[in-house]
Amino acid sequence: MTKFHSTGGTLIKDPWDVVAGVMLLGFSLLLLFYLVPNYIGQPPIMQNPMMSPRWLPNIVGWLLLVFSVLMIIQGVLIADDAEDNGRRFERGPLLRFALMALSLIVYAGLFEMLGAVISGILATLILFIAHPVRTWWVYGLAIVFPAGVTLLFTGIMNVPLPMWPF
Amino acid sequence: MENITEVLQLFLATENFVAIAVGVVIGVTVGSIPGLTATMAVALALPFTFSMEPVAAILLLVGIYKGGMYGGSITAILIRTPGSPASACTLLDGYPMAQQGEAKKALKMALYASVIADFISNIALIFFAAYLAKIALNFGAPEFFWLICFSLTIIISLASGSMIKGLIAALLGILLSLVGLDSVFGSQRLTFGNYNLMDSISFIPLLIGLFAIPEIIEFYRKKVIPHLRAKASGAGVSFSELKGSLKSIVRGSLIGVIIGAIPGTGATAAAFISYSDAKRRSPHPERFGKGEVEGVAASEAGNNGVAGATLIPLLSLGIPGDVITAIILGAFMVHGLTPGPLLFQENLPLIYALFLGIMLSSVILLFVGNAAIRYFSLIADIPKSILFPIVLMFCVYGAYAVNNDTFDVWLMLAFGVLGYVFNRTGIPAAPFLIGFILGPMFEDNLRRSLLIGSNDLSIFVRGPITWFFIALTLGSILLALYRFITSRQKAKQSASEPGAGA
Repeated sequence: MTKFHSTGGTLIKDPWDVVAGVMLLGFSLLLLFYLVPNYIGQPPIMQNPMMSPRWLPNIVGWLLLVFSVLMIIQGVLIADDAEDNGRRFERGPLLRFALMALSLIVYAGLFEMLGAVISGILATLILFIAHPVRTWWVYGLAIVFPAGVTLLFTGIMNVPLPMWPF
Repeated sequence: MENITEVLQLFLATENFVAIAVGVVIGVTVGSIPGLTATMAVALALPFTFSMEPVAAILLLVGIYKGGMYGGSITAILIRTPGSPASACTLLDGYPMAQQGEAKKALKMALYASVIADFISNIALIFFAAYLAKIALNFGAPEFFWLICFSLTIIISLASGSMIKGLIAALLGILLSLVGLDSVFGSQRLTFGNYNLMDSISFIPLLIGLFAIPEIIEFYRKKVIPHLRAKASGAGVSFSELKGSLKSIVRGSLIGVIIGAIPGTGATAAAFISYSDAKRRSPHPERFGKGEVEGVAASEAGNNGVAGATLIPLLSLGIPGDVITAIILGAFMVHGLTPGPLLFQENLPLIYALFLGIMLSSVILLFVGNAAIRYFSLIADIPKSILFPIVLMFCVYGAYAVNNDTFDVWLMLAFGVLGYVFNRTGIPAAPFLIGFILGPMFEDNLRRSLLIGSNDLSIFVRGPITWFFIALTLGSILLALYRFITSRQKAKQSASEPGAGA
């Protein structure tokens, strides 16, 4: 990974902060000048502007704008090495991450269609392959756990879930 | 007399005992597995409480919280990986003890210190919560408005890392809490015409997404690291060693109680303050950091002394002091209860049944903790490649169960990605959650104050209580600025020292 900052005289001390700050700045501008006026309804007559449904979102928007600018300035001027160490790690293979993302999509996209048990089995198998789990009998757990956890929710805790397709 | 019978009726239900025991077991188990946190476990357990009685539901979550606090120290001592940030202090002496073949002694001392501190903390909770709630009965909307302002500022000012990021997180949390129908005018706010958002953003998908999904994403994004194995070997702790550390345990517990009662400070600070206090008072300060059993006792006492005390502001004022109490607040709400002074007036038997259960959880922790020391290797040897798919399953099922809608699963995933981005950018998730909870309370009390005062702003400075909270709010802002300036000065000093940064 490219290391932008140093304790010396580089232009940007913490690029993560600058990028996050710029994104937040963009979001706060979007919030203030587009989202609040267009997506928050306001009654025609208002005795006190502080009672308005737009008042707090506007305040939050302006404060976000100020703090995102401060975050950009912080990123330009200050390198927080202690904090940065927690952010940096050695990345694993992309396929592993992609399979994890696929399992999330299986859950979110197919949960109601396939039911909790089958979508659970499918997603768990994908995650076992992603790691990859090399002990063959562990793959049996991909069937046992979704069935067991579904039963725990529906049978014991009385929390309704779609168990099977239809 | 009638109240006592009612309390006992509520408390003596079998479901409560099962809930506490299961909660403590889950807490210790999850806490002793590196990578899984007590916060994650409490968030995942919340959907299970839907069909439970309120007392059992809260006790289950409290049990997980307390178990998790101790469980975190097991991995800190044995494999130098704190199961929770608060256990980071325990490894200073716990891990050297394990290396010297005294792992069992360190674990036992950690357990006894945890149980004693937990007990003291619970006593403090019972005494102070009711007293504080009695005072809070005099609060009106303006007083609560300033109390919420103070809570928000103190949580942000004491959050670890950058204050600016803490503020941004809290603001984003407040903003998201406003999504839905406006409580006064009924107009839509940032719902984009989506009917799922009209009833505001569901708390549970947000919670699970923010605290469980980022861990899963990170695990599959990181390079695989070898699985560490450890054993709790050696002799246990003797009575004379326990007696020798007792003063440090009691002092640490009291430090934990004081720190825990202030919203936002947390167990990590308490553990380190208790540890340094024990070191300062010890006749052998040079032994600290090299395997001193008193060091383990002090840090664990500070850490666990917080557990009961964090419930003081929650139960008496309705203000969550940290993430776990915020989740417990969510559990109260799920069951139609609102913590605060009115709960003491309207539901006193429930409060006292909870107190009894919380006391019992300390005793159960002693037994479960002992068993965990014996069977730790069985727990910790479960690879994360098997654990995380199961955790994800609980996340999805739990999020779906809230409204029986896949929208909540998508919402959970979105918050999971947001939590991951927070981790990468160093924005803390705790102020976000606290902001999400306190945002609507802030707005409600602001509007109620304006209505009561007929739009006259002087209602916000109407009496000594409002001035007291204004002073506290200003004080916490000044404290935050002071911390910021001193941390920058320290960073500059360490950078200018010879050899630094080389």
